[in-house]
Amino acid sequence: MIKAIILSLIIGVVYGQFFLEPSHAVNFSYLSDIALVVLMFSVGISVGANKQVFSKIKEHHIKILIIPIGIILGSIAGGFLCSILMDMPLNVSVAITSGLGWYSLSGVLITDLAGADLGTIAFLANLFREILSFMLIPIVAKYCNHYTAIAPAAATSEDTTLPVLIKYTSEEVVIMAVINGVICYMMVPVLTNLFYRIL
Amino acid sequence: MVILTIMAIGMLIGGWIFPQKWHTYNNKLQVVSIVILIFCMGVNLGSNDDFMSQLPRMGLKGFIFAIIPILLSVGVVYLLTKHLMKERKND
Repeated sequence: MIKAIILSLIIGVVYGQFFLEPSHAVNFSYLSDIALVVLMFSVGISVGANKQVFSKIKEHHIKILIIPIGIILGSIAGGFLCSILMDMPLNVSVAITSGLGWYSLSGVLITDLAGADLGTIAFLANLFREILSFMLIPIVAKYCNHYTAIAPAAATSEDTTLPVLIKYTSEEVVIMAVINGVICYMMVPVLTNLFYRIL
Repeated sequence: MVILTIMAIGMLIGGWIFPQKWHTYNNKLQVVSIVILIFCMGVNLGSNDDFMSQLPRMGLKGFIFAIIPILLSVGVVYLLTKHLMKERKND
């Protein structure tokens, strides 16, 4: 998946840089709009069909929400801090950190809202979040606690970084990682749109 | 807002009537649409003549936008779990 995504980005850049007729640029904008609608509909189906997660939330008590809430609060605070450090608009900055590591969606959502340059920063930021998580999860699991090891991973804790979490934490934490991942996934489009508009 | 509405409609369909056996196709559809979207993002970026000169700056910003939310997420989750959750040991 990650190879296909990076390859399509590179091919797209090369095509745009060397082969694109300026008059054709608008067609890619239409194509992008259509693909985004299809993607969000499809993501909605996946989330809606995932009924197990909601029963697990009841089973494990509402406390299970502490981890995604903490991750989201930390990421929003990170957006505020980044805005100050890099002198960037607050709404864009918090919208980028609301990607919670889901680089493909964050990249396209920010491109749609704020243009391709900022979309690329969002893509890279959330891709780096995923990559850095692989390195940081073992360290956090060792020096903080097992629950906190889910925090760097954010939305990726139910897929790409899950194997690392399985290796360095306990079974109970792995179940929480999956639930955390689904909740974060659901929240990415909501938070990105919300903060871009209200801040 | 349109995007969130479409996602909400998808959730209703996914929760009620979407057949389980079609989920493989649904996952493939997500991969295809993401690849198309990222390709379009690439085309859009590449059509900017300054792209190559801007790439290092964007990479650095991306890195800062990754590490700061990670550190703050770790900090907040650590404080919350330390005080509110007791870890059950498997052994």
